[in-house]
Amino acid sequence: MEEYILETDNITKKYGAIIAVDHVSIHLKRGEIYGLIGRNGAGKTTLLKMLAGLAKPTEGSYRIFGESEKKTAKLRDRIGVLVESPGLIPNISAMENMKLQALMLGMNDEAFLLELLHDVGLGNTGKLAVRKFSMGMKQRLGIAIALVGHPDLLLLDEPINGLDPQGIVEIRELIERLSKERHITIMISSHILEELSKIATRYGIIHHGQIIDEFTHQELLRRCSERIELRPSDATRAVTVIEGMGIRDFKVLDNSIIQIFERLDDSGEIVLELAKNNIKTLNIAVKNEALEDYYLSITGGADVARRA
Amino acid sequence: MFNLIKMNLYRMTHAVSTWVIAIVTVLYAFLQFGALKLMMDDPLHMFDGGAVSILGMDNVTGVDTVTNFLQNSNVLIIFAVFVVIFANAEQKCGFDKNIIGITQHRWKHTVARWLSAVIGVTALILLGYGIMFGLSALFINHFTLGSVAAIARSFGLMYMGMVAFSAVFFFFTTLFKSSAGGIVASLVISLGILNLIEKLLDLLTKKFISNPRFLPSDFFFDNAYMTFDHAGAGTKAILGFVAICAVYAIISMGASMLLQQRRDVK
Repeated sequence: MEEYILETDNITKKYGAIIAVDHVSIHLKRGEIYGLIGRNGAGKTTLLKMLAGLAKPTEGSYRIFGESEKKTAKLRDRIGVLVESPGLIPNISAMENMKLQALMLGMNDEAFLLELLHDVGLGNTGKLAVRKFSMGMKQRLGIAIALVGHPDLLLLDEPINGLDPQGIVEIRELIERLSKERHITIMISSHILEELSKIATRYGIIHHGQIIDEFTHQELLRRCSERIELRPSDATRAVTVIEGMGIRDFKVLDNSIIQIFERLDDSGEIVLELAKNNIKTLNIAVKNEALEDYYLSITGGADVARRA
Repeated sequence: MFNLIKMNLYRMTHAVSTWVIAIVTVLYAFLQFGALKLMMDDPLHMFDGGAVSILGMDNVTGVDTVTNFLQNSNVLIIFAVFVVIFANAEQKCGFDKNIIGITQHRWKHTVARWLSAVIGVTALILLGYGIMFGLSALFINHFTLGSVAAIARSFGLMYMGMVAFSAVFFFFTTLFKSSAGGIVASLVISLGILNLIEKLLDLLTKKFISNPRFLPSDFFFDNAYMTFDHAGAGTKAILGFVAICAVYAIISMGASMLLQQRRDVK
């Protein structure tokens, strides 16, 4: 049986008539980096807030570390959280902000706090008040604060917001390091699939509060890789014909579209073979989508962009 | 809980507002000492027709210093501002998002924050009152200490009132999720606006009930505090005052805890 660090069961959050999160069921295995992708207002932050114990679900339930929501309360110090903008006391230094978190958790290890500050590139900020920090520095400090309690699960909401390209690379490397070296399971949200694609091992696309698709990193690469996409008149029979041609790397979508990931130069041969078996090819194309195009195509963003 | 209080006290001692309010409290102590000394050295002569009344004091006792320092709407505003800013700081800057989800029972945050605010108010009272008492003892010619037990009793009762007030201001800050809510509440109380409403309610009560046993103002905490004769009150009056302090503190904190427990963190 697989061990899930986090699982939700039809978790829902309503604000009056507005459904911010709509019956979301996701599962995170230990050590995964789960990328939650969605547009602004898709429900990412609300979902993370519920998991972080900052908001109560209207319906549904969740389990963290295998424990039910009520029992989870005792384990909450194993969760590091950075939701929305980093919550920092502006008139004190980075180290003092870290100390606040450490004091709350009953910790008193200044060397560890300094190490964390160095890890996020803020080791030399000294007594500089946080209000003088750039947005990127604040984001990094937010992550460092989330790490103070040696978390097993890290919930990061748009952690690369406001970062310059160098900062994005540093945060990405930090997240990868945390996952590899400290075996922290990470759930990270963003509206930029391109960025998440460099670190996440699994993805969930959230749209209008619903998870509309979930896939692994390998699946994402595959979905965005070059392929023949054809719409035959009879997909079931077409599969038999394609298999008969020795093609093994293919996928059927909605029982109507066949995606073939090998022998990309043989599209003519495939059409002929289908025709021999009295199967019409209604549509055929060689496709190669960019990550963002793929994301837009599944969230309907391309239509919106086109209309705009 | 102990860790939460430690964290809150660390935040308090590192906040600029705390030190600004400490300076204001010291200034207030000097001003109150100045007012006492003025009343001793240069009593105000008031002419009322042919008669002359003198608004001044023959001598200052330890109990007078308590009245002068604590039974006063100005100190109420100072401590209200302190409590309100402190209570709202985590929510205002979003630091509460880092810590509230981690705690098993959210209401503990409310209790810890309030207890820390009470520790802060206690420190400010001791600082300000200590300065005022010291200045009075040193520089007022007709200063007599009087009974230490009487001073302790007056101080204790007024301090208890301040603790209850801090709970009330804390509640308004929690309710409105902003410093403005608490500050407006403190101004309404300390500027006498609430008192005017109470008097109006008293008048209406007297209009409809002849010789009422209780008046609405009897149940308003600000009235109970400002008019309480801490030096001369009997046991029954003291118990009544303690009860009203306790009721206001318990209701305010209970409501604040409930709000914290049930509300989502924005």
